[in-house]
Amino acid sequence: MATTTATLTLESADLLSDNLSLSASMSLYKSGTTATGLEQLNYHRAILAEDGDFDLIAESTLLSEKANYVYICNKNTDVTHYCIISINSEVIGRLYAGDWLFMPWDCDLTHATADSSVEIIPKEADATIEYALFHNGETLPTSGD
Amino acid sequence: MATTTATIAISSDIADNTFSISNQSTLYTAGTDTGITETTGLARKKVATSSNTVLLDHGLAGGIAQDVTADRSAKVYIKNMNDRGDGTKWVNILLAAVEIGRLYGGDFMFFPWSGGDGKDIEFTCESTSGADATETTLEYCVFYE
Repeated sequence: MATTTATLTLESADLLSDNLSLSASMSLYKSGTTATGLEQLNYHRAILAEDGDFDLIAESTLLSEKANYVYICNKNTDVTHYCIISINSEVIGRLYAGDWLFMPWDCDLTHATADSSVEIIPKEADATIEYALFHNGETLPTSGD
Repeated sequence: MATTTATIAISSDIADNTFSISNQSTLYTAGTDTGITETTGLARKKVATSSNTVLLDHGLAGGIAQDVTADRSAKVYIKNMNDRGDGTKWVNILLAAVEIGRLYGGDFMFFPWSGGDGKDIEFTCESTSGADATETTLEYCVFYE
């Protein structure tokens, strides 16, 4: 069993009248278990063309109804550059240069008109994206030859 | 201008070699390097219902979420404060009724939010048996411009 931990820290000395310091830590477990860690990982770095609409993390049967966690980071440095992240045709938000997200992902295959793949639309050319999926198994394409 | 940072650290023995991700972003207004100056502060919501609950209501007149629009920068932190238990209960996070991901007890998420009409952030408490009315506590915070 693998042990994967994620720790988030939010800090500011001047956003509020007092210091803001928030820290949260979690282990990435399989669904339906008390403490069995996820054992599979995809980690990628991609340089994407502008304004394409790409499936960054594709849905699949084995990913459905399971615990999946996604990390995405926009590695560009120009602060005006951003990518739009969406699921099931619903825009989650914009990742500006340097921004990252970490969230669970519900691979929901029940939608008839839209898929639940994690999609990305880069708004500048050469958008450099790093992303990871921690999961409990995915359906790989069957070899065609 | 305020300086607020969000740091993620993921470490794992999931692979033969130790795998880790570490990243820090500063929370800026959209397309600038000017720090975000507004926040809800850390809030806590407790429910004991199997019905859908609106956590951040974009349509609430005068509400904080009304300031969050697609072309503005906003970041959302949500944590399920419940114990994990046997891993068969979770909070389903929805954006505009689209299922985004499952927060099991102890799980958190941090993501950009493109607000707009109808783009409320909602949640339902669920288990492997369906909708669940177990008392559930979420903590959340929004940083926005």
